[in-house]
Amino acid sequence: MCVEAFSEWKAESGLEEKQEEYVDVFFRMHQWFMTSEELAQAFIDLYQGCDETITCSMVACPHLPINTDCAIQNFKKMICQAVRYWIRKFPLHFDMDTKVTTAVKRLSSLLQAEGNYKLKELVDVSKVPSYDWMRNMSVRNTSWGKHSRKVSLVFNHLEPKELAAQLTYLEYKAFRRVHFSDYKNYAVSASLKDQPKLERSIALFNGLSQWVQCMVLSKTTPQQRADVICKFIDVSKHLRVLQNFNTLMAIVGGLTHSALARLSKTISCLPPEAQKTLMDLTELLSSNNNFSNYRKVYHQCCGFKIPILGVHLKDLISLHTALPDRVDGNLLNFRKMAQLAVILRELTRLQGQDNIPVDANMDLVNTLRLSLDLYHTEDEIYELSLAREPRGSLSSPTTPTKPVVFADWLSGISPPDPNTINKHVHDMVEAVFKNYDHDKDGFISHEEFESIAGNFPFIDSFCVLDADKDGMISKREMKTYFIRANSHALRNSFKHAFHETTYFKPTFCIHCTGLLWGIIKQGWKCKDCGINAHKHCKDLVVMECRSKGSKRTESMSNVYLNPGVGPHDLTITAKRKISQRHQKRSSPSHTCQQSTQTEGVVMRRTSSLRVMNSSAGTQHNHRDVAIIDGEYYEEQALLYERLLKAEEAREKLIEENSRLRSKLEVANDQISLLKSHIGVIRQNTIAFILEQMDALHMQRDTEV
Amino acid sequence: MSSSTPSCFLLNTAMSKAKTQQPAVIHKVIMVGSGGVGKSALTLQFMYDEFVEDYEPTKADSYRKKVVLDGEEVQIDILDTAGQEDYAAIRDNYFRSGEGFLCVFSIKEQESFQATQDFREQILRVKNDENIPFLLVGNMVDLAEQRQVSVDEATKRAQEWKVSYVETSAKTRANVDKVFYDLMREIRSRKMEASRQNNGKQKKKKDSRKKKCVIL
Repeated sequence: MCVEAFSEWKAESGLEEKQEEYVDVFFRMHQWFMTSEELAQAFIDLYQGCDETITCSMVACPHLPINTDCAIQNFKKMICQAVRYWIRKFPLHFDMDTKVTTAVKRLSSLLQAEGNYKLKELVDVSKVPSYDWMRNMSVRNTSWGKHSRKVSLVFNHLEPKELAAQLTYLEYKAFRRVHFSDYKNYAVSASLKDQPKLERSIALFNGLSQWVQCMVLSKTTPQQRADVICKFIDVSKHLRVLQNFNTLMAIVGGLTHSALARLSKTISCLPPEAQKTLMDLTELLSSNNNFSNYRKVYHQCCGFKIPILGVHLKDLISLHTALPDRVDGNLLNFRKMAQLAVILRELTRLQGQDNIPVDANMDLVNTLRLSLDLYHTEDEIYELSLAREPRGSLSSPTTPTKPVVFADWLSGISPPDPNTINKHVHDMVEAVFKNYDHDKDGFISHEEFESIAGNFPFIDSFCVLDADKDGMISKREMKTYFIRANSHALRNSFKHAFHETTYFKPTFCIHCTGLLWGIIKQGWKCKDCGINAHKHCKDLVVMECRSKGSKRTESMSNVYLNPGVGPHDLTITAKRKISQRHQKRSSPSHTCQQSTQTEGVVMRRTSSLRVMNSSAGTQHNHRDVAIIDGEYYEEQALLYERLLKAEEAREKLIEENSRLRSKLEVANDQISLLKSHIGVIRQNTIAFILEQMDALHMQRDTEV
Repeated sequence: MSSSTPSCFLLNTAMSKAKTQQPAVIHKVIMVGSGGVGKSALTLQFMYDEFVEDYEPTKADSYRKKVVLDGEEVQIDILDTAGQEDYAAIRDNYFRSGEGFLCVFSIKEQESFQATQDFREQILRVKNDENIPFLLVGNMVDLAEQRQVSVDEATKRAQEWKVSYVETSAKTRANVDKVFYDLMREIRSRKMEASRQNNGKQKKKKDSRKKKCVIL
């Protein structure tokens, strides 16, 4: 208590001597050392105790409020003025904390009892403005949201400048909500527990970085990936102009993350000026010399700016660790207070900026917000990166890869809570329908969908979203999908009951569409919904477990066996399987592989009717294969090698897709040619396969 | 375990020599570990031996220090990742600039010990080098009565990783200098090895040329 009394003494004398600075620091920072309630209580104690601590120099003074020269009365007046200063300058403290308000009211009634009405007016807390928006995580500021300007919501069409502006808007909204107590608790406890606002800000930061990586990695060719990187570099340039350093850090951090930095093929596709810009920005944000480059530039910037929160958090923590709270016995360490105040005053000032230089487009903001909420782990992204451009055989293998454990990295950060997600999904879907449902019939058609999908790197195909298979996506379907996709990331309501299974007919993995190979225990099957997957794929399956619709799901995965199923049930996956099957059938013969591949491509592109025809055609083939599959698996190694080759070929096909589409005419001719081939093959299958087997045996023998 | 006396001696000599010349070699050390394990405290204890009144965390050179390492004057540059543990995205970028790592956990917090596994993996992934200079540091040994992580447990993990394990206390300054100096020694020998390999390669090239000449 002695400490506080001392500090207040100083504070009051400061007030009289007009040492604004000192008092400002004291009231601003007191929460670092004690609660506001304690401070208010200290004022009351001081007020009550001053009869004894202060000696009045006037002879026979009754110490009544009317005695203006009484030292005790003057002291009481000073206390009240200090409290008034506190209320006027930091009304936030009173609005956010009812306990301190009650304490000050207690002081007020004390004054009332003494008949000290003049002083009572000084400590009136009833006119404190409301800071409701600080309390809520996301109250929309309507004054910014009124825009009828129609902007494309699609990443591919989005101007980098627009994207930078909207990201800044999001960032600023998250940043301005971070409260003093968040900073303090984080610096003291170094944990994000119970600090949802700071956590939200950090989650936005991480989400953005991951989104950048996912957007890049979702592209299949190095050139496409390089184009996305270029676009983000452009976005970064605009963020630099907007002086939004936090978002800049998130994007540059994402672009230079080792998951992208290791993609040498992609990097070599970048134009030199883009590489230079990226290098300059990395240099600007580098941690060298204690972020000296950033600090220099940051201090030169005037007007609207958003700081890199992490850097300033580090400063707060260092200060807090370096300097003790109390010195010289039990007095508050004012030097520490002052130094912390420098950082916090700056942060508070920046949070109060109302000259935000961007116009919010709420539709776009909502879409972005949802994109940034989709949650991936570091390991998942890195594995995707490895899949895109596998490690060179020369580089030494790193750590033994352990199975992907979800939400392992960011133990401190929990994904956004379900309510927030539901709200974001709702806003996003509304925005999408407003902008993309051109005919306003409340449904998204296939074409409309294609243009939206570009925003979400790992969105499923149209058919998965279209749950009732009516060829249209309704609002409800889209909401359900995104909420499920999110809860998948949370891994709570999304588990399949997989168990090891032996299959008696060839079965394919629902995730990678590859064959489940082996003689026994080829794969894993979900007890509830019946989907099948590889052991290594089963944790990656992005399909919700629909236990009731188990029959339908099964019929879907077996659709190539049953052409009677309605045409809409043919998913892309199923089509891909058919084409794969074609390749596998033809690869041993090497005769018509090229044409079969072409057919596979065409099939994927043409109407489902034609696919049905072809699948009817392949049906026989398939049965034949099934008969001798047992023998096939004896040649497991060989077969697997071939399977890999076939899958490789498939990858190539997907890349060549667009080029081949222009050759559609030629391909059609080839199809008719091939159809006759199929006829011949069908007739001679048994003989043909036996021949094959002999050849294979011979091959093996020679190898042995 | 307290071997801070020789280090302190080294430190003093560093002070006396510091003004004479600018050391060319800089060893870049990165402090990693979960929040609240005392990374900043360790760093500050090492940087400023005694209590500093006007510590200024924003200065460019506040994490750089000249020291004498086995008679050779070097600079140490420490990157303290405190406050940024949760910014997972940029962590990767920080690691890239590091030449050696002090992976800190608190012996009174099992969770922070578990987290070291993740930090180790991420560092190896970024650096792509199994032998990167690395020390496992169990901090807060002054609070031994609250110990949750046993010495055996930590030593075992350190052996698995083929690194050494040291227990420190930022409060009592036990082993604080030791961990930084040990790590710097590792970094130094690592750098020497690298340059020797480079020389070796050049030598080999020369050899092959010579051989060719002989054949011709």
